[in-house]
Amino acid sequence: MLAGSAFAVGTKVSFQDEERFFETKVRPLLVNNCYECHSEDIAEAGLRLDSRQSVLKGSDTGAVVELGDIQKSKIITVIKASGELAMPPDGKLTAGEIKILEEWVARGLPWSGVGSKETPISNGSDSIPERIASTKKNHWSFQPIRRHELPVLPEDLPVHLREKWSSNRIDRFLAGTMLKQGIQPAEEASPHALIRRLSYDLTGLPPSVDDVEAFVANPSEPAYRAYAERLLDSTQHAEHWARHWLDLARYADTIGYAFGGQSNKSPFAWTYRDWVVKAFHDDVPYNRFVTLQVAADRITPEVPRKDLAALGFLTVGRTFRGNIHDIIDDRIDLVTRGLMGLSVACARCHDHKYEPIGIDDYYALHGIFASTETPEELPIIGEPPQTEEASEFAEKMAELAMNLADHERAIYDRAIREAVAHAPDYLIEVARPSEKKDGRLPQMQDGYEMRPIILGRLERLLRNKSDTHPILGPWVHLSNVPDDVFSSDADKILKQCVESVPNLNTCVEQELISAKPHSISDLAAVYGRLIAKVALDENDEAKSLIQQSEDLHSLWLVFGKAGTPFVVLENEWKSVSKRSERDEHSKRKRRVLAHQADARGGPPRAMVLVDKSKPTESFVFLRGSPGRQGEKIDRRVPHILGGEFVDKRTSGRLDLAEMIVDPKNPLTARIFVNWVWTHHFGQGLIATPGDIGLRGEPPSHPELLDDLASRFVNDGKWSVRCLHREIIFSQAWRQASTAKQDTVASDPENMYYSRSRRRRLSWESWRDSLLMAAGTLQLNEGGGPGMDPLDPRNGARRTLYSWVDRQDVPGVLRAFDIANPDTTVHVRSTTLVPQQGLVMLNSPLVIDAAKKVADRLSDESNTQARIEQLWKIVFARSPQRDEIRMVQAWIEKSEDLSSDDFGVWPQLAQALMSTAEFQYVD
Amino acid sequence: MRAGLGIGWMAASTALQQSLNAKPPALNQHEANTLASRNPHFPARAKAVIHIFANGGPSHIDTFDPKPKLEEYAGREIPGALKTERRTGAALPSPFQFQQYGESGLPVSELFPSVARHADRLLVVRSMHADVPNHEPSLLLMNCGDGRLVRPSTGAWVTYGLGTENQNLPGFVAMCPGGYPISGTANWRSAFLPGVFQGTYIDTKKKKGDELVECIRHPVLDEKVQREQFDLMAALDRKHLQQRKTDAALESRITSMELAWRMQFEAGEAFDVTKEPKHILERYGDTPHGRQLLIARRLVERGVRYVQVWHGAGQPWDSHQEIEKNHRKLAGEADKPIGALLDDLVGLGLLDSTLVLWGGEFGRTPTVELPNDAGTKTATGRDHNHHGFTVWMAGGGVKGGVAYGATDEFGFKAVENPVHVHDLQATMLHLLGLDHKKLTYRHSGRDFRLTDVHGRVLTDWLA
Repeated sequence: MLAGSAFAVGTKVSFQDEERFFETKVRPLLVNNCYECHSEDIAEAGLRLDSRQSVLKGSDTGAVVELGDIQKSKIITVIKASGELAMPPDGKLTAGEIKILEEWVARGLPWSGVGSKETPISNGSDSIPERIASTKKNHWSFQPIRRHELPVLPEDLPVHLREKWSSNRIDRFLAGTMLKQGIQPAEEASPHALIRRLSYDLTGLPPSVDDVEAFVANPSEPAYRAYAERLLDSTQHAEHWARHWLDLARYADTIGYAFGGQSNKSPFAWTYRDWVVKAFHDDVPYNRFVTLQVAADRITPEVPRKDLAALGFLTVGRTFRGNIHDIIDDRIDLVTRGLMGLSVACARCHDHKYEPIGIDDYYALHGIFASTETPEELPIIGEPPQTEEASEFAEKMAELAMNLADHERAIYDRAIREAVAHAPDYLIEVARPSEKKDGRLPQMQDGYEMRPIILGRLERLLRNKSDTHPILGPWVHLSNVPDDVFSSDADKILKQCVESVPNLNTCVEQELISAKPHSISDLAAVYGRLIAKVALDENDEAKSLIQQSEDLHSLWLVFGKAGTPFVVLENEWKSVSKRSERDEHSKRKRRVLAHQADARGGPPRAMVLVDKSKPTESFVFLRGSPGRQGEKIDRRVPHILGGEFVDKRTSGRLDLAEMIVDPKNPLTARIFVNWVWTHHFGQGLIATPGDIGLRGEPPSHPELLDDLASRFVNDGKWSVRCLHREIIFSQAWRQASTAKQDTVASDPENMYYSRSRRRRLSWESWRDSLLMAAGTLQLNEGGGPGMDPLDPRNGARRTLYSWVDRQDVPGVLRAFDIANPDTTVHVRSTTLVPQQGLVMLNSPLVIDAAKKVADRLSDESNTQARIEQLWKIVFARSPQRDEIRMVQAWIEKSEDLSSDDFGVWPQLAQALMSTAEFQYVD
Repeated sequence: MRAGLGIGWMAASTALQQSLNAKPPALNQHEANTLASRNPHFPARAKAVIHIFANGGPSHIDTFDPKPKLEEYAGREIPGALKTERRTGAALPSPFQFQQYGESGLPVSELFPSVARHADRLLVVRSMHADVPNHEPSLLLMNCGDGRLVRPSTGAWVTYGLGTENQNLPGFVAMCPGGYPISGTANWRSAFLPGVFQGTYIDTKKKKGDELVECIRHPVLDEKVQREQFDLMAALDRKHLQQRKTDAALESRITSMELAWRMQFEAGEAFDVTKEPKHILERYGDTPHGRQLLIARRLVERGVRYVQVWHGAGQPWDSHQEIEKNHRKLAGEADKPIGALLDDLVGLGLLDSTLVLWGGEFGRTPTVELPNDAGTKTATGRDHNHHGFTVWMAGGGVKGGVAYGATDEFGFKAVENPVHVHDLQATMLHLLGLDHKKLTYRHSGRDFRLTDVHGRVLTDWLA
């Protein structure tokens, strides 16, 4: 049947023949029978049959084709089902079909069209090194960042535009492209619109009426700049931008799902949130800002303890029910996509399909995070509040800790006693292993379950022991005697045995002689008694006896010392505990943690991670499965970013951080500058702010982006504040949001920045604005543990200080598009659904705020004066005449209908706060 | 398009409707409603889904997959018992009697007599299998297509793909009396899809329509007064828009507020079953299960896309012990109203366009669960079984009176035509007119889909 010789290798066949053969015979066969599992989507066993190159590459286990040799080609043996593996799994190919594939292999895998070398399939079949080389050479985001020449503005530009658009570099670049398209920029926004925009943009809050009035009266450049500087210096500015950053850091106050009703809180996540606020307030340079968040604990000289809170960046993520690989994956995604716009996490199961990232790059980073751990006790980074609560906290803490320790000790003592009592059973289990079901150890008559840790140690202790060992010798000797021989000739066998051990321990000898064992169970009982003698040193008398007798002491060294089979170490108590004990223990432990987390008066702690004492190298997980290890990968940064190995002695996080903020890294500054830009303009220079790889959108203004990034790093020394200034002082940013009619036609999507983009307030800004109007918001009510933003009693605190449960984000917050706290988010999505309207119409939050706004109105009976006052509170402007008339008419109509609970003024306040004017920024 | 929508809205909605054309829907922030109804990839058989989730893992052997062979082995170990979460022992025959129903003669146990009346409409899939014998990952696999990672739920994918037909109601509703099932809101999350596609949770332990839906009524104002207030706001909004010439986003917002206004009444009404005629209420029963299945019918009638009905908080069907007593109680709660729901869907002509799916996250072992070390339990229950279990479907374009696939002779493992959860999901999307390979969303640098890289459409199921 093997017909290898029929198709001699090297037979000259015309190209057209080959093409026809492949396209008409081979390809349909592959498509119909193989591609469901062996193509781009799935690649079962790592094997793809959709390009010639991938067929040649073979599967996870090696080559599948030996060109021209049918017998040696696994693909043929498999489809013929002549070996163990048979494919396709749901039915054998016909003899004719098998013959076609044999001919194909014998001819040397002719291929044409898609999947051939000339037409690679979906960019996915080139090798990673090739892709890295071509990306470095060709893709914009991997080219060095450099400063660009400013474009020359056209001669015929009207003077007022030339004046305004030529001094700021941003304006020069934008005007350059805009004017080339024949598009004219919009006028400057009105002073009222401008100051409102500035305030929301920098602080997330509306401007005060006084500030608005002062600026409207004197909208000069110095006044504008002075106001901007005041805002930039404010805590409110830091708070607002911290919230943007927390989206990127996928911040939440819970770990996600917790088993069995356990608490899922991350009680100290807030220390990270507060750290971010402080860092923005202090204008910590961005390179330092990032380094602290990735490796604060590795920096020399040591950083102040409070800066350890920065590590929350890595640790405030979901914990995936404890699955370490998912936790690592989340962190890899955070640092690569979050900080560099590079989607490395896609390479968890296979080389990235599109980006220049190999699976080895992924596991090189995996090793860095796998070399870290979370300490059981988080470090204290500040003083507890100096209150009575603090001392109560400490007292209770000590009590709970004692309670926990006592319980551990009790479990330990009980476990040792029972283990010693069952020592004979363990010994017999080693000598005559029982049959195991599902790998579980046998259960004793009295319900005792053997412990793997004890059995394992006992096995190791007895393994390869000589039968002349002074203590174990007799066991080794006698346990090897077949049962029937032992029982029939016990005395003689025992005598021989005792005599054959030269330095037999006298305790052992005495026990053997007095007990006269006739079987292995007798023998095990003998050893059981010996073990009990030294393993249960319950009182001082017993202890001193052991110290005095040399033989007892040797016996103690084998069976009594902590770490010997039956006497596990104290910290190993868990491995010998019962389920019910562990349940009780976690209950007590939870009490400790709950106290630390919830009780007022405790000190703040940082959510750190630390390096393991010994770093671990990771192995590639084939298809992402930890059960299928491939080659070992040394820890390093991705090849596309240089591939340098990190410090061998530590996890290498510091090296990773330094690589990220290396001025030569072409990604970091571009991604960050674009991120800041996007939050100012409501649109990005790069439309895909989390992806500047091969699949991302190229920048709309590449030269401007590079110029900004280059100056941010070199001139601004990574100062975020300087970047803000440059943007908000630009003319482009100050444009009106209403475009001239002809501009809308020539720049419908505002690609050229020919106007400002009107924006809806974020959930946080919207709630804060409600509370500002209500007069309840306290701007100095800083951080600390989070609160429920929907509870009207929390009206004093900014929305930033919410408690975020990633497992249960309230519907209202979701309706307003808050960032998904499970993934790094550069820019939130904006959706419009009626549920948002329902919140405005009926939520207690709005209704409560409306009542408070009405309460702020003076008692003056003049309706018009009250309307004017209300307008100022809600819109920071005076009402227009027709607005006054409209409202007066409404009041007359509504007063009759009105209830005492929620009269016309609260109703009016609610109506105003539900308008577009309140919710949108021009 | 149903009650309460004027001509203006009809026109707007048509203009907004966009075809998927085998592409993921483009989410446009200028759209008045991100949830507007969208065309499927190809003509759909089902327009809506009601997923009745018997959470905790109902025993297939005691409900829809009879295994007489277990009698023979009663009290003895069966060959080829598989590993599950806990230790199991000898074969435990079903304590329930099976009977054949309908022309098809489909066997159903005494636990589900009302469902059995519809035997000829059921497609009973007896060869389901999942990945692991644990609740959390299996729930997430069933709902979100992945046991561990944060992925959107099926309902979220479907509303993302198709929008919903009634803009006055949420498009995806998840009902569970008295709290959350295990894994909580993750079961109906939107994950990286925009938050509007997340299921709206309704605690059906509460009875009144107003209490069921968040922010559905003004706590003080009556409709007349609130309308005056609303009109003032709308007038101010129109003036605001006028001064800004054109802005699609602002125009859309005005439309959206009007939708919110109507939703107040329609949603409150839809969830309020108290006005149903007495004989209807009696057929469903005045229990949380009766109420929520009746609500499910009312929602689907009103054009809601995806309704999930959970049996109860936690994992009620998890009968590790006393399966006879527990399953009898649970089925007793669910059977009558499910039967009534199927009756109504047939009567209203809605069953053809509504896919009803019943099942858990896995099934249970044919062997008895052994007592644990504390000795507090007796051997009367069954452990989790992901190797083989049953779900059934009705309506929505699936065949009726058919038992598809099979477990081995004891009911331990799916052996004939095995169906993985991803296959079920792929086929559900297919019934809704969606290609599971093309319903994608770009996130984190790649296109994600419900079935990841898996899933087969089981064309054998299609009527």
